[in-house]
Amino acid sequence: MIRFSNVTKQYDNDVVLKNLSLNVDKGEMVYLTGPSGAGKSTLLKLIYCAERPDIGQITVANWDIGKIKQSTIPFLRRNVGIVFQDFRLLENKTVFENIALALRIHNLNTQTIREQVNAVLREVKLSQKAKTYPPHLSGGEQQRVVIARAMVSKPTVLLADEPTGNLDDDTSNSIIALFREINARGTTVVIATHNHELYHGTGRRVLHLNNKNIEQESIG
Amino acid sequence: MKTFMFSLDTALKSLWQEKWINFLTILSVATGLLILSIFSVISLNADAVVKRWASEFGMIIYLDDSADRTTEERLQREFTNDPDIAQVKFISKNEAMKDLQNTLGENSSILEHVDENPLPASFEISFKNKNLDSLYVKKKTALIEKMSGVTDIQYAEKWLSSLSIVSALLKAGVIILGSAIVIAIVFITYNTIKIFFYRRRSEIETLKLLGATRTFIRLPFLLEAIFIGMAAGLLSAAALFGIHFFVTNKLPNFLPAVSMLKIILPAVVYLILPLAGAAVSFTGSFIAVGKIRY
Repeated sequence: MIRFSNVTKQYDNDVVLKNLSLNVDKGEMVYLTGPSGAGKSTLLKLIYCAERPDIGQITVANWDIGKIKQSTIPFLRRNVGIVFQDFRLLENKTVFENIALALRIHNLNTQTIREQVNAVLREVKLSQKAKTYPPHLSGGEQQRVVIARAMVSKPTVLLADEPTGNLDDDTSNSIIALFREINARGTTVVIATHNHELYHGTGRRVLHLNNKNIEQESIG
Repeated sequence: MKTFMFSLDTALKSLWQEKWINFLTILSVATGLLILSIFSVISLNADAVVKRWASEFGMIIYLDDSADRTTEERLQREFTNDPDIAQVKFISKNEAMKDLQNTLGENSSILEHVDENPLPASFEISFKNKNLDSLYVKKKTALIEKMSGVTDIQYAEKWLSSLSIVSALLKAGVIILGSAIVIAIVFITYNTIKIFFYRRRSEIETLKLLGATRTFIRLPFLLEAIFIGMAAGLLSAAALFGIHFFVTNKLPNFLPAVSMLKIILPAVVYLILPLAGAAVSFTGSFIAVGKIRY
């Protein structure tokens, strides 16, 4: 599903990733860990094509990230759900509207959008908050809205960049449980985190990023 | 269609949410369009006046006293067949004398002592409107002067020349002013939409990450600009209607001379103004939204 072959990425003269190779299979759930500045976010950005590799090849669901045209990037991103630590919710739109936005982009009709958004709201247990605006939600609730927005369009890959960074332990666990549910339905999930508690004892593959490459691979 | 409806909804909401900045933009664009339309109407009317006067412009071609009937008929034929000449009128020596007598009226007795008719026969010709520029008339005069039997030509060269210059200057003025106003409107809408775009940059970033196409991101801004331009166009059309109504119906009460102006204001102007406003605003917003990169 995701394949990096000898990828190097640098900003000006600062090399962030060097000669990195990795492979994430379809339906797999992988943790990406490492110290701050190790290149976790850059690696995720390369997957959703916010950055391009300087050297090497990246393929995501048959798209070649190095060669993809600007006009094709939106169609790649519709297959890649993204969850951010800082949520990136639109504060002037309700929870329902925030999630619906992901489906409006797909040009779906209002009835279908309503059904799918209500279904995903039930899954993340936020049906009661559909008409609430993000500033009135707790951090955990906001993160669940972001996950709902990312999964409502049924992407094949779900990326999460420090998804529990601002959350307490209990809320973090509930968020990770949600990712496991999504993964159980066949979605490939990549979670970047520096919190080893999140992957400890999960039995999932953990990629340790350090010194511009994957220094170690283990099972959590 | 669903994308269009969503963009329309977003654009209308933004118009309301940002009503004050939108109102000021509409007012600025409307003022520009009104100034441009007033100058265009002035130019159009001046042009019409010039053409009306010019249509009355004539040239008198005096014939040599030695010109016989054959020469007169040949010249008559040549002028009649000339595609640039609209009207030809021959005035014989006798007719010229009669005209003079009529003009002198009671004083025509002074001509009783004139034994021989000193007045030459002549042709009065008028040119078709499209040919009435001074350069053309000069060339035509030179050609006619060379014709056998022609002795002199009279025409209002300076007058015609001035008319042409005034008309050309007015047209040039409208083009220069029009260009300046169009650039100003593009700049005004560019700034407004740029501000909206900047205010919604986090929303745009989110949309890009969700997989929105460039059209999906741009369309609300472009539609908003079209609304602004159309509203400004309608406002300027209403103001123009008001000014026209005042000048034609109320102003003559204070300035009777104004009623002689016969102002031409084609109804199509009221349709052109909103469309032109929309087109120019669209251009400004298109530049403002720019090239979206992912």
